[in-house]
Amino acid sequence: MKTLVRKEMRENVRLAALGLVIYTLMLLSQYREYVVSPTNISQPLADSSLLWSTSWFCGIFGAVLGWLQVHNERRPDLWAFLIHRPMTRTGIFLGKVMAGLGLYALVVGLPLLGFIVWARLPGHVAAPFEFAMLRPVAAYALVGLLYYFAGMLGDLRQARWYASRALGVGVAIVVSLLVSASPESWQSLLLILIGTAILATAVWGGFQSDGHYRGQPVWGKAALTIALMVGCLIVAFMAAMLVSNFLPRNQLSGTSSSYFMTTNGTILKSTQGAGRPLEIVDLEGKPVLDEKTGKPIDPNGFNRRLGTAASLEVEQDGRPGDSTWMQRDLSLATPWRATQDTLWYYWSRYGRLVGYDVATRRCIGSLGPKGFARDMAGSGDRFSDVTGGAHVRTLATATTVFLVDVEQRTIRPLFTTPEDDPILAVHEIALIGHGRDCAAVVTKRLVYLLTAEGKTVWQIPYEPARASSTVFQLFVLEPPGQFALWLSPGGRWDEEARAKHPGHVMWIARDQGVLRSIDLPALPAPHYVPRFQEKLLSVVTPPALLATLPVTHVWVWGTGIPRELLLLSCAGAILVCLPVGLWLGRRYQFSIAALAGWAVFHLLFGVPGLLAFLSVQEWPAREPCPNCKRLRLVDRPQCARCGADWPPPEKTGTEVFAPLQAS
Amino acid sequence: MNEQPVIRTQGLTRYFGARPAVYELNLEVPRGGVFALLGRNGSGKTTTIRMLLGLLEPTRGGGSILGYDIRSLPPEARARIGYLTEEHQLYGWMSVRECGEFQSRFFPTWNDKIFRGVIGHFGLRPTAYVKSLSRGERAGLCLALTLAPEPELLILDDPAVGLDPVARRALVESMIYLTRRSDRTIFFSTHQLPDVERVADHIAVLDRSVLRACCPLETFRNSVRQVRLRFAGTPPALPKIPGLLQAFRSEGELRVTCVHYNGATEAALRGLAPVQMEEMPISLEDAFISYLGDRGEKSFILSETEAQP
Repeated sequence: MKTLVRKEMRENVRLAALGLVIYTLMLLSQYREYVVSPTNISQPLADSSLLWSTSWFCGIFGAVLGWLQVHNERRPDLWAFLIHRPMTRTGIFLGKVMAGLGLYALVVGLPLLGFIVWARLPGHVAAPFEFAMLRPVAAYALVGLLYYFAGMLGDLRQARWYASRALGVGVAIVVSLLVSASPESWQSLLLILIGTAILATAVWGGFQSDGHYRGQPVWGKAALTIALMVGCLIVAFMAAMLVSNFLPRNQLSGTSSSYFMTTNGTILKSTQGAGRPLEIVDLEGKPVLDEKTGKPIDPNGFNRRLGTAASLEVEQDGRPGDSTWMQRDLSLATPWRATQDTLWYYWSRYGRLVGYDVATRRCIGSLGPKGFARDMAGSGDRFSDVTGGAHVRTLATATTVFLVDVEQRTIRPLFTTPEDDPILAVHEIALIGHGRDCAAVVTKRLVYLLTAEGKTVWQIPYEPARASSTVFQLFVLEPPGQFALWLSPGGRWDEEARAKHPGHVMWIARDQGVLRSIDLPALPAPHYVPRFQEKLLSVVTPPALLATLPVTHVWVWGTGIPRELLLLSCAGAILVCLPVGLWLGRRYQFSIAALAGWAVFHLLFGVPGLLAFLSVQEWPAREPCPNCKRLRLVDRPQCARCGADWPPPEKTGTEVFAPLQAS
Repeated sequence: MNEQPVIRTQGLTRYFGARPAVYELNLEVPRGGVFALLGRNGSGKTTTIRMLLGLLEPTRGGGSILGYDIRSLPPEARARIGYLTEEHQLYGWMSVRECGEFQSRFFPTWNDKIFRGVIGHFGLRPTAYVKSLSRGERAGLCLALTLAPEPELLILDDPAVGLDPVARRALVESMIYLTRRSDRTIFFSTHQLPDVERVADHIAVLDRSVLRACCPLETFRNSVRQVRLRFAGTPPALPKIPGLLQAFRSEGELRVTCVHYNGATEAALRGLAPVQMEEMPISLEDAFISYLGDRGEKSFILSETEAQP
């Protein structure tokens, strides 16, 4: 094994060196970009450009390395030279993989390690660092392993390049996309592990049978089929979308209603539907008329009347946020503000603003509720974490909103609440007529609007109609001094829930408090009619995937998966894929178990499943049986219909056979 | 001595698409000696060898090699089988010495003396890189790598293909040297009939995917006969003769090559009333060419040739 590993390493060392140079240059370019702009307020290790370059490099390098490791020996004689040695094929596979992974680790790990060490050492990067920031880049480096195995599989498979050979890369692509979209890091890790296991098993199976499907162990066959099914899904999706481009584009189908607020505080209801004009009525259901023409207002007139709002969201206890683990890891230290000679970050680890000197690139201290400290932690005093919205002036603790001055490295209290009424959210907003530096503060019981100096413009009771009402929209109305506060369900609530609980609205006047408030009437749940393009996509989507999407909270359609689409997907599987699969299975004399297994597969995976089935199977030729004259498979010793053996070769009368004696 | 055949196949068949490359091959290779597998290009020799070594899945049928099922050859079986591939491909970036070192680590029975002896026989420098070697030198290196583990069974797939006469001779000499060990079996495919004549004990002939002959070399040689019949005028049309391979008709002469020549054949030929009938000596190469060439009668009579469309 060691010998094989060494040989593989040496054989691919040139590619590794090339990869090392390319990735090092990519990281050096990141380094240069950072160094030439000293006031760049970012942590290069948590920068999207590092992730972008790493993900592309790891994907391409992994695929090329895997492909080349097999391709080097793909000529039949050299392959035979490799395989024909006292070693199991599993051993040969492991030797190649160990060498490949070793090279991959070196090529990706060494430059990255150098980059991390550079960024980590004080005096190089004027930004906070913590190891959790490395998890996104590590995830993309791991995703490269999937491309590595996909590359191997692509070259190992005995299939045509223009057909199914490259389909294995589909698993890697899907995992790449899902890794960044997963809410939690363990889910991403699990996806990477599952994807790697599928592709590695498919490659291992390919090694057992020289890349053929026939002769593979059952696990290899299963993994290969799943890998190709995912690839087929991508191809089928792309084909369906391509076809859709040639079709006339439909307008939004179905109907949906929403409430809007005008600049004078009137609430209007608009209803939009396929083939219907925009219908705008007031809360009593009367059409809104244009004052000049006396006709129902058109969309332009409606848009002109709409008020603008500043929004903020209050997080509910125990409810996970909308962001992914990757977004959270990349924003562990949020750039706060840059002065001429300092850079300031809000570092959630310490709950403080941490400052760095631009010239020395070293930490100069931190700002907490108790003021400036020379170290990062101060005396343990910390702000509440920054959540959403723009924060450039204020930070808050549970009871106090502070005005932060990073130039002077001072803070001063702007607003204080009692301990039993803690602050839930602060949002800096610019309100016309009220200055650019206003702040909306939401406490457990009250909502405040503060001026830049901390003076209360108004305060009203926070009276959420229901727990889901966590989004605040603050409208500044006409005439000046009039406001409206609109509470509605938070971002994670789907459209159906929004229709059911459209909101609670309060009209507020300066110095007078709440003038009136209402709970808006429930709206009809949006009636959604899928368009032709979506129907086409659903036909090529596996029924199993469509059925599990709602469970996995992957919302493709705002209102969930319409039953019609699920039915279309199932119909495709039942009416097309299952009969075709069964017909082929019978034609090629599959065993009952194989027929049943493939039938379930076709039902679960529909069109991509059928395509994968067609891709993996190697169809033996059929010849007429000399006995019953019906077509029989050449790979079966007996005719399935008459049980006859294959006839011996026809005699020519020139045969020379004689017993052979051992020497 | 173990009398079990080292190679045995039963109905071994391989299709490529709808075309059979090897059809219902039933073959037994006895232990010891040199066994030559002969056939024209595309007759299925390489496919047979690749199936025997588990490098190609048979479409149907099966077989055993050294008692192991060819569909699942374990490492211990591979350790006992040396295989020289047709194209003599090796890792171009390795030197001759590195090739030996690489291979030696896998084979516990590696004999470095043999390796050095064979590369010396071919005049190879240990420091030379594989990519810089000529085809003959590469063949020599491949042979050294195959022989050094001292395999019990040596399978050579057309080892002399592309070699010049000197390299070919060196290769044959190596094979003769190897057969000094009585328990060693050499199974090789080739087109080089002089080589077969020099080293082979047994031959098998594949003709268009089908095994047509499997016998000791001498039996084959004795089975194929050529007879010259002289006539006063144009030779008469040839009646149906069992075992007829080829017949050449020319002015006043008919030359007949057939297999299984016996009294009945002789009687059928005498029935043509030749002026003279004599048996001609035939070389193995001619016998083989007659055996594998186009069957039937060919006319070299000018008037008949011109009359043909």
